[in-house]
Order: sequence, then C-alpha cells, then structure tokens
Amino acid sequence: MEEVLIATSFLRAIIERSFMQHALITGVLIGVLAPLVGSFVVIKRLSLIADTLSHFSLAGLSIGLFFINILGLPLGDPLYIGMVFAVIGALLIEALRSYYKNYKEISMPIVISLGTALSALFISLSGGFNTSIFNYLFGSILTVSRQFVYIIIVLTSVILVLVAAFYKQIVIISFDESYAKLLGIRVGLFQFFSTVILALIVSLSIETVGVLLVSSLMIIPVAAAMKVGKSFKSTVLIAILFSEISVLMGLWLSFIFSIPSGATIVLFNIIILLSVVISRKIIGTWLIKEKNPETMRSSLPHKKDAT
Amino acid sequence: MRIDVDNLSFGYDYRTVLKNISFTLQSGDFLVLIGNNGSGKSTLVKCLLGINKVPEGKIYLDGQDIHNFKDWLRVGYVPQKFDDFNYEFPITVNEILNVTKFSKVDNDQKLQLLDRMGILKLQNENINELSGGQLQRVFITRALMNNPKLLILDEPTAGVDQENVIGFYRIVNDLNAEGVTIILVSHDTKGSKTNMSHIMNLDEGRAKYINVCDLDFQEESE
Ligand SMILES: Nc1ncnc2c1ncn2[C@@H]1O[C@H](COP(=O)(O)OP(=O)(O)OP(=O)(O)O)[C@@H](O)[C@H]1O
Ligand SMILES: [Mg+2]
Repeated sequence: MEEVLIATSFLRAIIERSFMQHALITGVLIGVLAPLVGSFVVIKRLSLIADTLSHFSLAGLSIGLFFINILGLPLGDPLYIGMVFAVIGALLIEALRSYYKNYKEISMPIVISLGTALSALFISLSGGFNTSIFNYLFGSILTVSRQFVYIIIVLTSVILVLVAAFYKQIVIISFDESYAKLLGIRVGLFQFFSTVILALIVSLSIETVGVLLVSSLMIIPVAAAMKVGKSFKSTVLIAILFSEISVLMGLWLSFIFSIPSGATIVLFNIIILLSVVISRKIIGTWLIKEKNPETMRSSLPHKKDAT
Repeated sequence: MRIDVDNLSFGYDYRTVLKNISFTLQSGDFLVLIGNNGSGKSTLVKCLLGINKVPEGKIYLDGQDIHNFKDWLRVGYVPQKFDDFNYEFPITVNEILNVTKFSKVDNDQKLQLLDRMGILKLQNENINELSGGQLQRVFITRALMNNPKLLILDEPTAGVDQENVIGFYRIVNDLNAEGVTIILVSHDTKGSKTNMSHIMNLDEGRAKYINVCDLDFQEESE
C-alpha cells in the first residue's frame, strides 16, 4: 500500500514539478548518450578516459567557483568553464598519447593528477567544501536548470545525427584504426571531434552522477551488455537499455529515500552488471552439466565445400 | 592498377631494411614476393600501402605519386598480423564487412564472396567466437569489399585449411584475370596454384632477382 503511494507520488511529482521533469529528461538523455559513447570508449580500451576528463572538468568547475564566488567575476555558470576544461583535458590526453606512442596510458594519470591538484587548490581558495562542491562530486540531477536541459537536448540530437551519419567510419576507426587509415578515412579528424564530444558528454554527465561516478555511467552498462550481446548493434542497444533502467530506478529510489541520485543510479548499474555475471555463470555451469555438445557447439558451422 | 617503384630504400630508426628496390607492375600483373624471415617483405608491402612513409618520387600508383594518391578504397590489404584489431567487443562478420564497404558492391556479390570464402554460414556470428582460420578468411573477405584494383596479401593463408586455401586462390586468380593487380607475400610458391606473372626474391632488403614468369617457368617451379 505504502509502495503504491510512493510510486504515485513519484509520478505526481514528475507531472507537477518542473524540477522533476528536468531531472527526468536529463537522466533519460544522458542515459542514452553515456553508454552509446561509452561503447566506443570501451572498444578502444580507453575506459579510464572518462574518469580523467571528469577530474579535469572538476578543476574547471572549482576555478569557475573561485572566479565567480571569490573574485566576483560575471562568468555565469561554472558549468561552462567545466566544459571548456574537459575539452582542454581531452586535447591534453591526445597530445600525450601521441608523445608517448608506446605507453599511451601514461597520459591518463598525468592529466588526472593535474586536474585533481588544480581542483584541490581552487576548492581550498574558494573556502573549502560547500554544497556546490558536494554536488559536483556526487551529482545533483534534481537541481538542473531549464537552460541545462536545452543544452542536453541539443547535444543529444547533434550526437545521434553524427553517429548515424558517420556510423561506418566511427565503427571501423574504433575496431581497427590502421585499416580505417588504409581506407583513406581521415582518422585524425574523427578522433579530434570524438574527443571533444566525449569531453562535453563527460562534463554534462557530472550534473547527473557527479565527477566521481561519471565513468561508471559510460562503462558499467557497456561492460554488462558486452557479456550479453551477440552483435555490435545489439550490444549497444542493450547497454542503453541497462542504462535507462538504472537511471529510472535510480531517480525513483533517490526521490523516495532522498539520497543523491548519483549513488542510486550507479548502484543500480552495478546490480545489473552483477546479475549478468552471475546468471551467465549459472547458465554456463548448467550447459556443462547438460554435457550436450549439440547445444554448446551448434553455432559452429560444418565445414563447407569450397567449390 | 599500375605500380612503379623507383630506387626505394627504407629503414626503421637507424637500420636500413630495403635497399634500392625498383620494379614496375602493370594492371593485371601478379607478383609473388618471397624471401627469408626478416628480409623486408612486409616492410616493402607497407611502403606500397602508405603505412610506412617514403620520400616523394619513390612510389607511383596509377602514375600518381603515393603522396597524392587518393583512391585508397580500391586497394585491398590482408595484413600478416591482426594485432591492431580491437577484439572482445561483440561484432558480427556481417557488421565488420558492412562498415568496410564504401563502394557500391551489391548484396548478391557480397554473399557470393562469403560463399566462396566458405564463411556464408558465419555471417551472423560474433567474430570473437571464430577460430583463427575462420577469422583470417573474414579478413580476406574484408579486403575484397570495395572491388579492389590492387590487392596486397601478406601471407594471407597462414592458418587456413587446405580446402579453403584452394578456394581462396581461385578467387584471387579470378580477380587477377579481371585485371586486378596482385601482390602476394608467400613462402610457398609451389603449393599455391597462383597465376603469378612476376616473382621477386628479397634478400636482406635487396631484390635478389625479379623474374617475369611465363608458363614454362611456373611449370618448372611446380
Ligand atoms: N615496426 C618496426 N620497427 C622496427 N623494425 C622493424 C619493424 N618492422 C619490421 N622491422 C625490422 O625490419 C626487418 C624486416 O622485417 P619485415 O617484417 O619486413 O620482414 P618479413 O620479410 O616480412 O619477414 P617474415 O617472413 O617474418 O614476415 C626485420 O629485421 C624487422 O626486425
Ligand atoms: Mg612479413
């Protein structure tokens, strides 16, 4: 009975309160973008990049807070400075990756350290921890502005159009960069734009789940979907589905228990990942117990006559 | 596609690998490249593909300096190793082939290729669940997706079973008969029943001999 009441009050809040509508739209759209872009990040084995960018973006946010709150400069929302910093961080990573060709992953800890150090410096200069900083760290989807919702809508549309238009190029670059180069695709140009887009998504996702959890939004649904999907498209769609379930469940739980939505969304993602891992284990042992080679190997073809 | 190589030398860092290589292939020629391990076969092939950067005036494709050459879609390549491919994320054979297909190759033609490579039934399989030889055949098919005018094959049949090797060379010979220039790196000139028209033996980066083979030569080598 009580649950029903809570569910209806959640629905009523969505219908009646504009802040809930903003939160829902933001959550649903980030829930599409993060795993979509996250899939390409995972394929290229760049899973740490989201974490790196979000920490660098935090540097921008804290510098923004310092300029706006302490120096009183009219810079608007620190969010924009955070976005600029995410892009700068992304370009820094690319530069370091091409400088250390054989140790590409070195770029991540370097940029993460710089971002964290700058954040620490400017957070303390702005008078230490306060609500804004807490929100940046853990997300505050319930406080996003109407303007922010517009930005998200525009960005989502642009990215969906770009992915559809350059689907082949993006997929081949992600899976096989050297073959893409061979086909005459301008890999460098694509890389540049996808890095910038990734940076923008990361800095906008900070509003949803916070700096510390952004990467989980991009990586965990993909990690779970990889173990379920059979084709590329189905895997990406499953990742988006998992992510949407987590966003909606997370929002609901966050609403009824008044806990940060970042925590609930990410925890729900983890629950899905665990369920996938465990159910695969169970199905796997069940198949072995069956000892039926037909079911296990039926997907392998019989050798075909070449003529 | 016509290929001119003019006194090409190439090295990595301080070591010279290729030394003063020159040759010309006309459209429809079939060059088999042999030589010991480390003699520079893959290095030469990568120069022709623009993967290894060479100075201007060394390599011409269809009469154009490789630096100005644009028609890369028409160059098919099967590398010796597929280390650059990011495995593990699910993707099917069909999906891989479709994202590499930028020319108007119709679906029938694609299915026919798949059939001849013996991978028609694998179309919708996740490539991460294929055997090494099956995967190799997928990558060979990928090289044929855009109707190549030049096909460069670096030991393409390593790990492919005999039956499918024969099927593969049949395709290569057919393509060659249609005028596709073929460069095949191989350790095995006897077993592979190719239409080769030229053979080059690399020895520590020098072309030890370049022969134009007529039928007699092939008979001799068989
Ligand atoms: N990327 C590279 N960097 C440095 N040296 C290289 C590189 N690739 C090849 N070499 C060196 O160049 C020489 C020629 O190598 P290459 O791969 O062209 O030989 P190959 O004739 O293809 O041999 P195999 O029959 O084993 O395939 C070798 O001595 C190798 O060590
Ligand atoms: Mg080689």
